[in-house]
Amino acid sequence: MEERIRSQSESRRVSAALLLETQGLTRHFGGLAAVNRVDLRVAEGEIVGLIGPNGAGKTTCFNLLSGFIRPTAGTIRFDGEDITRLRPHQVVKRGLVRTFQLTTLFQELTGLENVLLGLHLHSRRSLGRALFSRRRFPPDEIARSREVLEFTGLASQADQLARNLPHGHQRVLGIAMALAARPRLLLLDEPVTGMNLDESGRVMALVKTIRDRGVTVLLVEHNMKAVMGTCERIVVLNFGQTLAEGSPAEVSTNAKVIEAYLGAGLAHARG
Amino acid sequence: MRRLRVGVLIVLGLLLLLVPPLGGDYYVHVFALVFTNVILAASLRPSLTCGQLNIGHSAFMSIGAYASALLAKNLAVPFEVSMLCGALVAAVVGLGIGYPSLRLRGVYFAMVTVAFVEVIRLIAQLWVPLTRGMSGLSGIPKPNLLGVTLATKASQYYLALFLMLLTLLILWKLESSRLGLIWKSIGMADNLAQSLGVNIANHKLLAFMLGCFFAGVAGAFYAHFIRFLFPPEFGFLMATNILVYNYVGGRGHFAGPIVGAAFLSLLSEPFRGSAYETIFFSIAMLLTILFLPGGLITLPGKLAELRGWKSASAHSPSPAA
Repeated sequence: MEERIRSQSESRRVSAALLLETQGLTRHFGGLAAVNRVDLRVAEGEIVGLIGPNGAGKTTCFNLLSGFIRPTAGTIRFDGEDITRLRPHQVVKRGLVRTFQLTTLFQELTGLENVLLGLHLHSRRSLGRALFSRRRFPPDEIARSREVLEFTGLASQADQLARNLPHGHQRVLGIAMALAARPRLLLLDEPVTGMNLDESGRVMALVKTIRDRGVTVLLVEHNMKAVMGTCERIVVLNFGQTLAEGSPAEVSTNAKVIEAYLGAGLAHARG
Repeated sequence: MRRLRVGVLIVLGLLLLLVPPLGGDYYVHVFALVFTNVILAASLRPSLTCGQLNIGHSAFMSIGAYASALLAKNLAVPFEVSMLCGALVAAVVGLGIGYPSLRLRGVYFAMVTVAFVEVIRLIAQLWVPLTRGMSGLSGIPKPNLLGVTLATKASQYYLALFLMLLTLLILWKLESSRLGLIWKSIGMADNLAQSLGVNIANHKLLAFMLGCFFAGVAGAFYAHFIRFLFPPEFGFLMATNILVYNYVGGRGHFAGPIVGAAFLSLLSEPFRGSAYETIFFSIAMLLTILFLPGGLITLPGKLAELRGWKSASAHSPSPAA
């Protein structure tokens, strides 16, 4: 994990290469275009926020990027490779790892076991090893999982069942698992929703640390304070289309964005 | 705690070794069938852990039984080879049926497996030149292991015990490895498992085929032990029984299906083959769902909890309550 992160952060300094690029990404559900010709670009080392009112297509966008649903049209390129038609587990293998809205965890497993599953792609495993090894998990995998728990501040919760963790910790555990999969691009789906100010502040600080260690972050979030304080660039979706794009300051003063969020009346009142 | 458990297991194992010399042929027969049921129940567990409701396990037992019996009877193949062939045929058929249908979830997959049981039963019934159909396949040789024919019921009992222990050992090792954790993860949240890079289709298929393989082993032993195969025996009823073993025993632990199979097959022994057998299994299932949703294996914990609660309330009557 460390080596990859270090080499990535070095390459980031040299050039901010395009990591993720969608062209004309479209997904229809029946007659509804949930995502409509979206061109999304994420450069290596960025923290990009994807925002928009409810039903704007943010989560559909995530599902498309992570391979859970197939686009009706358009392409997704990750690090130059076309990943449009890949299945979820193949997408993860390329280094594009997502988390889920709400607390999607392996509830009946411990924190450590959850993170060990996050290591899935990087573990040596075979039927022979399963049958003849005396150990359940190699010590290095356990050590690495504990490292990730430590990094995310969950070290003391390693042996708790996931379902017994407080809400905030459950959300962070979801991030820890994604980190264990060694992402190059981390897709966070509403990482701080339902958290209090203190908790969300800590998670957003964690997101920054993750980025500083060389992982690019694309996040969907409704908590504007968190988004504005963390993201360097924001893409606003509305009715499945890109409405605006730019720095937090640009986006938050954009008339079209204000209209989408607050309705036309207020924009007129301000204008 | 761990020592205690190992000790209990060793004592239990020794007791099982002593059944043939101490019990009569009747007990030997009954226990050998219990061992087959344990293999069947335990081999269904990986698939259930992945969240796939398989109500067709008896079909694979049937396939293993017929394949092994026909090989031994018609080609004089020794038991160790015919059993392996039977198990492999069951696993390959499992691959054929599992590959397309494991994409289905919940009740849809269950329906495919139910239909499959009937298909296999009908094939066994209608392919008369090969299986003798409804006349039943008789004259199956006794298990011939490494050149020695196991003529006595007692020796066949030990064979069954050995096969059961070997099966349980393999399944236990797999379940407690990373593979078992992956199966559990698929059962709990398959979308999350996928998002961590787990190829859930392949893992479900592996768990399913593994179950089919050991169901084939159970079938092969059964064929050479009873020495008579009758298609309706491996029907829907037996398939549901295997499922009931898992639920009554408990889904939460590896011991669940073992306890369930042993408990239910011993208790249902007086009704074996009669109409009451179905009623017995239904009642057992209903009672479990109502009173012990976690299965029999949660009974000790429940009792301890009850006792602790009683003594706690006796010592310190809480004013808040």
